[in-house]
Amino acid sequence: MSSRRSEVPRFGHGSRVPGWDDAADLRKDPAVVPDAATTPVPADLRAEIESHMAKYPDHRSASIPALAAAQRHHGWCSPEAIEQVACVMALTPGYLFSVASFYDMLETHPVGRHSIFVCTNISCSLCGADDLLAAIVDAADGDPDLNIRSFECLGACDIAPMASVDGVYVGPVALDEVGTLVAQIKAGEAPLPARQLGGRAVAEPLAAIPKGPTTYGGQMPEEAPGPPAPVEQQSPIPLQDADQSEEGAT
Amino acid sequence: MPRPEIHMITFTVDGREVRAPENAMLVDAAKLGDVEIPVFCYEPKLGQPVGACRMCLVEIEGIPKLQTGCSTPVKDGMVVITQSERVKEAQEAIVEFLLVNHPLDCPVCDKGGECPLQDISFGWGGGRSRFIEPKRHFEKPLALSPLIAIDRERCILCYRCVRFSQEISEDYQLILAERSADTYVSTFDGHPYVAPFSGNIIELCPVGALTSQPYRFRARPWDIEGAGSVCTLCPAQCNVELTVRDERVLRVLARQHPGVDDGWLCDKGRFAYQSVHVDERITRPMVREGGELRPVSWERALDEAAGALGRAGAQSAVLAGGGATNEEGYLLQRLAREAVGTPHVDSRAGGGPGRELAAALGAPALQATVPDLEHAHAVLVLETEPVDDMPIVDLRIRKGVRRNRVRLAVATPRPSSLDRNADVSVRYAPGCGEAFVAALSAMLGGEGKNVDELASSAGTTVEALRGVTGVLRGVEVGEGATGSDEAGPRDIVILWGERLTQGRRGAAAARGLLNVAARLRLGGREGAGLLEVPVAANGRGLREAGVLHDAGPGLSEPPHGEMAAIDGLELPDGLARGDLTTLLLWDAEVDAATLAAAGTVIAHAAFLTDALRAHATVVLPAESYAEKEGTVTHPDGRVQRLRPAIGRQGGVRPGWQVLADLMARVGATQDPADPGAGDPRVLTGPMASRQLFEAVPVYAGLTLEELGGRGVRWPAREQAAAWPRADAGPFGLEVPPGPVKANGDLRLGTFRSIWAGPEVGHSPALRFLVPKPRVEMAPADAQRRNVTQGDHVTVGHNGAALHATVVLRDAVPRGTVFVETDALRAGPVDVRKAPPRAGPPAPDPAEAPS
Amino acid sequence: MSTTTASNGERAQPILFRGIDEEGLHTLEVYRRRGGYDSLKRVLDAMSPADVLAELQASGLRGRGGAGFQMGKKVSFMPAGQMDKYLICNADESEPGTFKDRELMQKSPHMLIEGMIIAAYAAGANRAFIYIRGEYQAQADILDAALVEAQAEGLVGERILDSDFELTLVVHRGAGAYICGEETGLLDSLEGKRGNPRLKPPFPANQGLYQGPTLINNVETLATVPHIIRMGGAEYAKVGTETSTGTKLVSVSGNVQRPGNYEVELGTPSREIIYGLAGGPPEGRTVKLWFPGGSSAPVLTGDDLDVPYDFDALAKAGSMLGSGAIIVVDDSVPVVAVALKLAKFYKHESCGKCTPCREGTRWTVSMLERVDNGLATPMDLDIMASVQEQIIGNCLCVLGDAMAMPIGSMVAKFRDEFEAHIEAARTRNPFGDEQPSPDPVLVQGAAA
Ligand SMILES: Cc1cc2nc3c(=O)[nH]c(=O)nc-3n(C[C@H](O)[C@H](O)[C@H](O)COP(=O)(O)O)c2cc1C
Ligand code: SF4
Ligand code: FES
Repeated sequence: MSSRRSEVPRFGHGSRVPGWDDAADLRKDPAVVPDAATTPVPADLRAEIESHMAKYPDHRSASIPALAAAQRHHGWCSPEAIEQVACVMALTPGYLFSVASFYDMLETHPVGRHSIFVCTNISCSLCGADDLLAAIVDAADGDPDLNIRSFECLGACDIAPMASVDGVYVGPVALDEVGTLVAQIKAGEAPLPARQLGGRAVAEPLAAIPKGPTTYGGQMPEEAPGPPAPVEQQSPIPLQDADQSEEGAT
Repeated sequence: MPRPEIHMITFTVDGREVRAPENAMLVDAAKLGDVEIPVFCYEPKLGQPVGACRMCLVEIEGIPKLQTGCSTPVKDGMVVITQSERVKEAQEAIVEFLLVNHPLDCPVCDKGGECPLQDISFGWGGGRSRFIEPKRHFEKPLALSPLIAIDRERCILCYRCVRFSQEISEDYQLILAERSADTYVSTFDGHPYVAPFSGNIIELCPVGALTSQPYRFRARPWDIEGAGSVCTLCPAQCNVELTVRDERVLRVLARQHPGVDDGWLCDKGRFAYQSVHVDERITRPMVREGGELRPVSWERALDEAAGALGRAGAQSAVLAGGGATNEEGYLLQRLAREAVGTPHVDSRAGGGPGRELAAALGAPALQATVPDLEHAHAVLVLETEPVDDMPIVDLRIRKGVRRNRVRLAVATPRPSSLDRNADVSVRYAPGCGEAFVAALSAMLGGEGKNVDELASSAGTTVEALRGVTGVLRGVEVGEGATGSDEAGPRDIVILWGERLTQGRRGAAAARGLLNVAARLRLGGREGAGLLEVPVAANGRGLREAGVLHDAGPGLSEPPHGEMAAIDGLELPDGLARGDLTTLLLWDAEVDAATLAAAGTVIAHAAFLTDALRAHATVVLPAESYAEKEGTVTHPDGRVQRLRPAIGRQGGVRPGWQVLADLMARVGATQDPADPGAGDPRVLTGPMASRQLFEAVPVYAGLTLEELGGRGVRWPAREQAAAWPRADAGPFGLEVPPGPVKANGDLRLGTFRSIWAGPEVGHSPALRFLVPKPRVEMAPADAQRRNVTQGDHVTVGHNGAALHATVVLRDAVPRGTVFVETDALRAGPVDVRKAPPRAGPPAPDPAEAPS
Repeated sequence: MSTTTASNGERAQPILFRGIDEEGLHTLEVYRRRGGYDSLKRVLDAMSPADVLAELQASGLRGRGGAGFQMGKKVSFMPAGQMDKYLICNADESEPGTFKDRELMQKSPHMLIEGMIIAAYAAGANRAFIYIRGEYQAQADILDAALVEAQAEGLVGERILDSDFELTLVVHRGAGAYICGEETGLLDSLEGKRGNPRLKPPFPANQGLYQGPTLINNVETLATVPHIIRMGGAEYAKVGTETSTGTKLVSVSGNVQRPGNYEVELGTPSREIIYGLAGGPPEGRTVKLWFPGGSSAPVLTGDDLDVPYDFDALAKAGSMLGSGAIIVVDDSVPVVAVALKLAKFYKHESCGKCTPCREGTRWTVSMLERVDNGLATPMDLDIMASVQEQIIGNCLCVLGDAMAMPIGSMVAKFRDEFEAHIEAARTRNPFGDEQPSPDPVLVQGAAA
């Protein structure tokens, strides 16, 4: 959501919670299950939703994958996107909106094309995540194409402070790498290839530089562009000598 | 599924031994020992407890953590403590937490004085708050719909309303948005929450977050009185409590009756009380003078009416309908038969099967009850759309499917709102119900050879029929569902619409239905049987009171013997032929052409329609149900009592009194020598009831006291044995005529929505729901005719046509269109783009061309 | 590659992390070459479900997801009989500080799949789901790819390895909600609803997914299963302590020099993990407090470093092993900032269903904000402590407790610092017009 641009929504002190002030628009019709006769759904989206529905004994289980598919298709879970999912799944749009708004990764407001989730939970914060978030927001300079959000623990405290850039985990990100990172995102390039989680060996924070393009998953670019940027000793975590590590990689 | 058996156990609550049904939730079981455990989110009507509010925490010996009393089933020997320091602390904590967010604006809150949050804060709260942070403040109240206002500050997130929308009415429109402390109750993208049962959430809300727009700020609990009665706006006859202030009905609440409504109301029943007090209501008698209806005295109006009836004698006809009480029906047929001397009495404008078949269909052994719908093995919904025709029953069917896995088959011409819940939904051509039941009967009886032909007569397929029999027999769809039932009889309820047995072939359809019942061996089976959805709200009661052309009270042989009587269906012809000249309409509606054909029209009505304004000779003001006393009979045979909640408006008089006066007057006219000849000896409402109970053998011995607030199901009484015996089949069935050939045209099906009827149109709050004329059609049919969603079209044939807006529905079978109208008869129709018109796009249905 | 260190000082062999960084281990080929799916073959060839169950029970394996409930016992709760039964792998891994499941799924997806097939066989389940948090896109892709390989080789699907056993397996991606790690919240989420926890009882083993009996285990728990079959339950039980058997993956993060996942034998002294493996806090700093089992565990202090790292010893020390995530906070960090960070996390992640958690987390955040900006008095600390007590044990699930316990422990153990913080903030902000910080900053200018 736009209000989440730089913050997990935390309305602890103030009294404004989005949505609470909204009345129903009495000129609209009630939102019932959209009729297939009047709700066009793009064929590829329909096919994807139907393939998800087929995986479960109860097709309602596909609501999250279906909403995620619609989000990929429309950029966010817009009312139109939700109506299309509702039509294919024979659910009400309200039901699906309720589900979408429960989950942090389903966007119920328009957002930028690229998502940059910066973990600001305890472990990352202890390593300077709050500054990293601020630096990224600064560097982005209000580019509406970037959806920058502080996020709860992303499960990568070993590379703190870290961010998930369109699903690719990078870290530890030093403040002076932020400019490069944002430029790479804007240019559609792979973010900080040297900092990507993919090729890290277990428990070796210093071995963050991968041996080469990794083969894990679909998130990595076919070719990591250029040699990894040299890492200056700027990381908020005090780096240690590698040979102090207790274990050797087998 | 069959009802669970109940075992009683003994447990201890606060040192008291209490006997309670095993597995009852502690909250309910404790009540049996006079111990109250406070609750917010718990509402057994909503299904499984959710344990969200945590208000009901109690201590149970042997369990270290406090437990929620709302979700803990009581067991034998359980020891429960609700008064310990620990419990008290927890309860105070929950109240404190709930009030953290609550504005405490009780002085300006509609709920004040009848608010569970107030009561529980007082009874179980600590009486103090340590919360000093700023409270949240929002705009309030906001419209959630034209009927409901929402105040999100007050909401304590007990989820009752949302659970209702999702698990009871299953409209899934009301939702929770966001999560955590930011969670709020909302709808999709600002759409209003408009659904047939939406108003129930107002009653469910335990705080003042959801309030009724029409009731807001109209009264405080100490200004009002509650009056229990029965809603007679549809055959469901829900039990209601009318909130009355200064002789005005301001609100309608449910008066929970598990045998009738399960504690819910539809929005028509909840909000149409407004029509009681509108200016449009007729409150004085009127007589046509100089071509116009003018108010006159009662004496004058009664004289005119009695004079006309007396003069016409056997050329007069009497038609009753709507919510007329049993007493009115009984007196009405006496008026006709004894005083006026005419046999032409009916309560079914659409006709129906003869006395024998009516008796067979209504036989006590074959009657299912409303709760049976919830516990049956299978339910067949036949030729009715419950949500339109008898709304509350729609919720009962959903409940059975959801909670007890009742298997559901739906067989209707028009796509049904229950399709999504049904194991099998089949469509047949409009008007082909008779062929459908014949085909079903053939398939159940194993008369395979005939099935093909019958199925195609019905405009359906053998596959579809096999699906239905599979559900009824409890066999998986497709698996040899034909043949005799080896599994033995099952609890099956057939909910059928009276429309099935209307019309000229009504008797044949009734025989088909009886065959189906016989083949399924429903007769005499507890928990199984037929449940009719009559067209008129008190259709069953009126028939039993003797308002039938071929039967007297209790479906006895008619007093006029062999004398041929004209029934409701033939009435227009009778008038056109001149066999009839005078028409007495008692809360019944007929079309303008029929009225025009009558020389004299005497109408007892609450609202003046255009047709009455043009053709009525005498108009007698009718009571609203809020003013009535008497009894009505529920479709499952429950005789229920109406009690007046308010004084009669203006010059309105009780129906029984008007009828008694008319009888006396007509009688005196008929026999001037004996002025007391027609005196029916009815001087009070209870006297009318007593006469009715004496005249209808199966009601014998009933008293108003016995009916009380809950009613009595007569088929369960001993006196039910007095019901006339009738042949219940199986009958040999003829092959019914197939669906009308459409020859490139479309087949028309008609229906009547829940929002039809004068009470909705005359209630300001509900007026927005009055249906606009729409024609529902399949996308392919629309494309062929070059029309699309939202287009204005004419629907009709040979001159008779109406204007409507196209609504495309994927589920409408090709070749068929559906229009909500009484103005067109089923048959082939043409749909054409209407020439663009100036002014409002479509007339109101009330004014639709006829 | 990490090393396990036995409590008796001897080095135990790593079990889950043995050769974990081997090139291509995520492929079926390498996994098989290393003996992968041999356990499954043994199970399907020669063992009945009851035999497998017996091994699991003998191993003493306790759940690695948080509650530490014995896996064998949980499997034994599954009702017998013909019905649809389900196995769910809880791969939601959202507990702050935890990242061990990520490592396993990314590097050795087949280990998890093999474990799941065996567990499903023991539990009589024919349908299995991996509920993986939506943020783990790379890991979900790896799992999907591994699943395709396994299906192609007849390891998943009908007639697995020519036996009569059949299992369908679906990787289900979540969409970002901590509460979906709670097993019943997960069930609702997997059914396509909002991830609200359900009332228990009924427990998932009786009525779980789609009302059917359901076994839910953590990734690490399930990944251990093939090893138990390989080693034999009794042999496995010899590793670790008597009641905390086996090895445990520990995610160490926060103010340590070498954050990462380490496989240790249960019972290893905590100091050895924090200092020996993870290098301890940066030069010149000391451990102020640490969360032994994710952010939901009550905090321990520098005085507790010698507590053996196992389920019972940590419980005795007043905390818990939880998900096995150690977060170290050094003495440069204000405890109020940690508390506020934590409270805000739980407030954000509360599902909102039950009153004490929904309102209690919100209220706690407000109070901590006042502590932070000088509008509080020491009396507020008493109220805060009492609010935590009112949350604990009164909620529908334990998310509420998961905030109340660590916050309560911080207020109890660092009361002086809280009071000093209030005092300092009041001096700084005497008129109370300083706005609460939007997000507490734990490390001021650390990276400047
Ligand atoms: C709020 C909350 C979050 C949880 N998150 C996770 C999680 O992310 N992963 C996990 O495996 N277990 C999580 N759990 C524990 C699960 O409820 C459950 O105990 C566990 O999956 C059982 O698996 P195990 O027996 O293998 O540990 C969480 C529990 C709670 C109360
Ligand atoms: S404790 Fe929190 S997360 Fe758990 S059910 Fe209650 S509100 Fe939801
Ligand atoms: S009434 Fe039991 S938790 Fe709400």
